[in-house]
This record gives sequence, structure tokens and C-alpha cells, in this order.
Amino acid sequence: MSDWYLAIGIGLLLTLAGALFRVWRGPDAADRMMAAQLTGTAGIALVVILAAASGDWAMLDVGLVLALLAALAAVAFVKAASPNGAGDPEEDDLS
Amino acid sequence: MIASGFDITVCVLLCLCALAAVTGRDTFRAIVFFIVYGLLISVAWLRIDAIDVALAEAAIGAGLTGVLLLGAFGQMGSADTMAREPRGAVLIALVAGAGIGAAVLFAVQGLPPEGAGLTAEVLAQLEASGVGNPVTAVLLNFRGYDTLLESIVLLVALIGVWSVASETGWGERPGIVHHARAGGTLQSFGRFLPAIGLVIGAYIVWAGSSGPGGAFQGGTVLAAVAILTILAGLVDAPRVTTRWLRWALVMGPGVFLGVALLGLFGGAFLVFPQAVAYPAIVAIEIVLTASIALTLVLLVLGPPREAPQ
Repeated sequence: MSDWYLAIGIGLLLTLAGALFRVWRGPDAADRMMAAQLTGTAGIALVVILAAASGDWAMLDVGLVLALLAALAAVAFVKAASPNGAGDPEEDDLS
Repeated sequence: MIASGFDITVCVLLCLCALAAVTGRDTFRAIVFFIVYGLLISVAWLRIDAIDVALAEAAIGAGLTGVLLLGAFGQMGSADTMAREPRGAVLIALVAGAGIGAAVLFAVQGLPPEGAGLTAEVLAQLEASGVGNPVTAVLLNFRGYDTLLESIVLLVALIGVWSVASETGWGERPGIVHHARAGGTLQSFGRFLPAIGLVIGAYIVWAGSSGPGGAFQGGTVLAAVAILTILAGLVDAPRVTTRWLRWALVMGPGVFLGVALLGLFGGAFLVFPQAVAYPAIVAIEIVLTASIALTLVLLVLGPPREAPQ
């Protein structure tokens, strides 16, 4: 059974590799960031698969933390897009 | 067979990410590869059953390092040009890197084949530690001085960051003052996520006494959501001269040190008698979590600086 889970895990790793290609190619910073977010999703799936494969369900906590915090990089990315890193692109739409 | 296939794929992807992060010319791309690298490393830790380490890596990699590096990138402005290194420097770096790699390989070769280390001894003494998680038992009881010194090191690191503040910046708020559109996406997210983050952070600290988790992992999660509220402009970071802030920062190492000194009555410094080991460790973990979380927030935000007029 555990082998089946790991085989699915390899499949997930391959999709992650596809996202890595997009991080490398870009062309825009947003493309790279979205691809990184995609690897975050694949990473959570990998953690769940590994928990099922080993039967050690405490591993799920790692997936929980990743799910909670993966979006933080996107927030930091959005902040970095504002002029001095302090603002929010949504503010600029109004002014 | 399939298990080794999985492990080899993880290793190949890890190496690719590491290479892409250090060899690329594009700073932003290097940062994104570094974030993905952290994710894969935590998957690799899970494969060798090091769940506590995987938790720490996931929390630090996803919650703090990305924010720190992207924040620095955002403030670099036009300075973002990676100059080509001189040949000699690259050569020296290559030789040094290969040397360290060879040394590590040599060290791994020297390990006993079924290197159980001290696992058997730790498990035999687990009962006496007061907690059910062997990692917590080692970190807070058997080798408590390691964790005590580490919590002090974090504090020293913060003093180091603060010491590079300019004269006019001292006494101000750390980092830049963030703002966002009132009621916008960022602010809504900054209000929504911390509620869940607080629960998960507290849960991970509590879980540390019986399973994977603990003060450092839980504290990192709490720090990450606190940073989010600051990034969203909902909360201003406290001024570095605030009295409660100073007390909260030294509280963790202070309580740890106090309990360690109380151990003198039980025999020696840092000795927890079995009857009180569990409450002592949980109390240290809870106070330490608050101090660690606060220290990490301030480390990521950077030295205090004068607000622009």
C-alpha cells in the first residue's frame, strides 16, 4: 500500500518539477511567484501522501503549517511591488 | 524500489533548486527558488521521520524567510543588479564548496552503518523526562542547556540587528511603517488568517509535550501571522524602547534560567525532579513561545528607523 502512495508522490513531484520550469522561465515576476504558490500546493499534497504512506499522522501538522503560511510569500511579493515596499498596489488604483 | 525512486526524485529537485538559487542572475528568481527549496527540504525531513525538524523548516521557510528576502528585495529598488563576480572569487568559492562537500561525505562514511546514536538511551529514560515526545525530552530536559543558550542567542541576534540602527532611528518603530487600502484584499486577509494562525500556533506548542511540535515551531507560526498583521497595516510594530516589549523579550530565557536555578534544590542546575518535570517543561515552553515569537517578528522587521515625514 505504502508503495502505491509513494508512486503517487512521484507523480506529484513531477508536477512540482513542471512548476519549477515556470519559476525558471518566468517571464514576469508574477509568473514565478504563482508557480511558487503552485509548488506550495503540491508540497501540502506530498505531506499528506507521506503521512498516509508511513501511517504517522502527526506528519499532517506539517501540511497544516504549510497551508497556513504558504500565502505569506505572495503577500510579501505584493508588498515588494509597491514603490518603497511599504504600501499596497490596491491603494494606487484609487489615487 | 518505488521508495528509492521517490527519494531520488526529491534529491534531484532539491539540487536543481539549490543550483538555480545560487547560479541565476535574477535576484527575484533566486529568492523564489530558495522558497521552493525550503518546501522540498521539509518534505525530505519527513522522509527520514524527522517531523519536528520538518515542522520548523516549514514554518520558517514558508512564514519567515520568504517574507524577509522579498521584503529586502522590495526595498532594494534600483540597486537590484547582480554584478558578475571576478573569476578568482568564483574559483575559491568552488574549491571551498567542494572541500566542505568532500568533508561531509567523509564524515558520513565514518558513521556506524546502523547508527542509532543515543536513541535507545533517550527512549529508555523518556519516562523520567516528564514528556512523551523524545525530541522535546532531549531539547528541554536531557540537554536543556542547549535550548537555554539558543534562546539567549536569539536575543543576542536581535541586539545585533538593533545595534545597526541609525542615531535618529533609535527609539522608533522597527522596519518601515506599512499601510494598505482600508478594507482591501490585504487588510481582509490580515484580519482573517491570524485567527486561524493563533489556534494552530497554540496547538503546535501544546502538542510538543506528547508529539512533534514545541515552542520554536509554534512560536514561528505565531510570529508569521503577527508579521502579516503588520504588513497589512493593521498593527504598528511597537517602538523598540517600549517597556513591556523589553520584558516580554527577556521573559522566556529568564523563566527558563529561573527554573534551571530552582533545579539546584533538586540536585543540580537544570535538573527537573520527575514529579515536577512535566509542569516545569510546559511552563517553560509557553513562556518561551511568547519570547521566541516576538524576537522573530522583530528580527524580520529589522532595525528601528525614523518614519519618513
